[in-house]
Amino acid sequence: MRKAGPPPSNPKGPRLSDGKTIGDLFNLDRNEVAMRVLSDPEIYDLEMEKIFSKTWTLLGHESEIPNKGDFVLRDIGADQVIVTRDNKGKVNVLLNVCPHRGMRVCTTDSGNKRAHKCIYHGWAFQNNGDFIGAPIAEEKMHGCKMEKSELGLQHANTHLYGGLIFACWDHDGETFEEYLGEMKWYYDMLFCRTDGGLEVVGPPQRFIVNANWKTASEQAAADGYHTVTLHAWLGELAKFNEGDIAASMYGTEVTSRMGHALRCQPVANKFKQAAKGFADGSLTLEDKLALLPPPGVTKEMLPQLKRHLSKEQLELLVDQPPQVGGMFPNILVAFIYAPQPDGTILGLTSLHSYVPRGPDKLEFTNWIFAEKDASPEHKALVRKVTIQMLGTSGMIEQDDSDTWPHMTINSKGPQGRDMTMKYQALNTRERPKSWPGPAEAYEGFTSDDTQWNWWLRWYDLMTAE
Amino acid sequence: MSDTKKEITGTLVRPNKIPVGSEIHNRITETLYEEALMLDNMLVLEWSYFVTKDISYTVPLRATRLLEESDKSIVRSMMHMDEDYNSLMMRVGRLTRTKSAFAEDPPSRTRRLITNILVDSTNKPDEFAVTSYGILTRNRYEEHNTQVVSFVRHDILREIDGELKLAKREIIVDFAVLGTQNLAIFL
Repeated sequence: MRKAGPPPSNPKGPRLSDGKTIGDLFNLDRNEVAMRVLSDPEIYDLEMEKIFSKTWTLLGHESEIPNKGDFVLRDIGADQVIVTRDNKGKVNVLLNVCPHRGMRVCTTDSGNKRAHKCIYHGWAFQNNGDFIGAPIAEEKMHGCKMEKSELGLQHANTHLYGGLIFACWDHDGETFEEYLGEMKWYYDMLFCRTDGGLEVVGPPQRFIVNANWKTASEQAAADGYHTVTLHAWLGELAKFNEGDIAASMYGTEVTSRMGHALRCQPVANKFKQAAKGFADGSLTLEDKLALLPPPGVTKEMLPQLKRHLSKEQLELLVDQPPQVGGMFPNILVAFIYAPQPDGTILGLTSLHSYVPRGPDKLEFTNWIFAEKDASPEHKALVRKVTIQMLGTSGMIEQDDSDTWPHMTINSKGPQGRDMTMKYQALNTRERPKSWPGPAEAYEGFTSDDTQWNWWLRWYDLMTAE
Repeated sequence: MSDTKKEITGTLVRPNKIPVGSEIHNRITETLYEEALMLDNMLVLEWSYFVTKDISYTVPLRATRLLEESDKSIVRSMMHMDEDYNSLMMRVGRLTRTKSAFAEDPPSRTRRLITNILVDSTNKPDEFAVTSYGILTRNRYEEHNTQVVSFVRHDILREIDGELKLAKREIIVDFAVLGTQNLAIFL
């Protein structure tokens, strides 16, 4: 292949030091984006400002900080934050930067404190971020220029959704409802379906991958094609989907311009025995729920589903549950089935956040969830099987983390940086008429529409005034 | 000495210690050296015969906590690895029976340096509690920086028909954020 000609000029968004704009890196007619976006430090700096300071990011789950005073350290882009439950029980997200001289106020990953005291000069803050005082109060060590009320830790806008903790620095920007948009209908099926809701089985796994955060994050927008090749062992050895991985990539992908995506996969295709009768109309909803509960839900919780979900949501969850996908900007959502040696089918629930650690480094954060009301034995099994499949040592995801660094390196070459990533395998069918949910819906084989929406959201934010 | 310190460092109070240089200690040392040789040469099928069918193989998380809370610096409610015999064999199977174990194909160049081996007898005459320090260096592709994973292992080695087999291994890594892109390798 010869080098392609330059894309049509599209002078939108900030101008980079070589004169090109962010818009110039996109070919919107051909669904291409220049690989340069995967390592250019200038673009990384713009992302910190235009994405991670503007939109919502996932920081964890409130079950990680169940008691007043509990806290964990997390990251919004390149900024470290303390996520606390204050003395009134409210969740706060506080910049871990002392307003005095910029030291980290909190130096441990987690714990319980009524107050956080900076070890450098002793400025102390309540666990809701309010400034308490400096050590030598009578000498007014905190100064005479600013009121105490002005010296608290910086707050991020915080929102709890199904117990998940989201935060956003922009207090005047989009609401969380606007952020999730139409896709909320689908996420509700996963996160807001039972009385007790989900809880983490423990703290997240954390490890470093020498790759740009977007290599992992755009894949999370329901990249189905890679599964067929990169995860071929699932068919070869684990006999997933009875050995036919490509067949499991048929379903319906839902997505929106907000960059979110989920792939819904019919269980009738996936489990020809366990889901016999699911597709031919011979079973009622009750029959199906009893035969094959949605991933992660135990039989005892089935009555709860009806209270929390609409009939349409429940039917979709039973027939064609969302299995994998993501939330913009850097979240992977996995609700996957894992057939067990004894014939039962276990549902695994995991969320990842791919925290930017510089243009060519990301921190892979992996939480594993179980329904709070599940038995301890069920939770232990879910934890074990999920660890074996996803995250640090996950037999599925270990191959992903070896791929992203190569893309990042390739994006630095003088030729490679202008090479484009292509999202041209588009689903051209009409939206299925009987589809019960909102947002864009693409029925058939997996397609690039979901990932292209991810890139359009990136484009929208990066070129926004 | 708190339990955590004991877990990380081994304990100095060792009523059941088997002296360094004794016949059993020598055998165990040689067995662990040979295991490292197998794994560094990707002889994972051979390694699979070194583990028992009831093996538990785990890598807990680590967390940065204050000294007074150091019992919480090892986190077992979540792990990097939580393996039994079947899952370990699935990992071995990926490497030996498929052509799609891309995380280790092409394989990393690794070196397992196993030192500070201390052996204690247990209440089972055929089982030994073995603590060892390890540094694993890992290098892939054209990387010129070596990835390092340092750890202490707490093993139970069991004598079966005159051979020592691995019946339990807990690997305490020295990282709250692991610096390698996956654990597609055995520690």
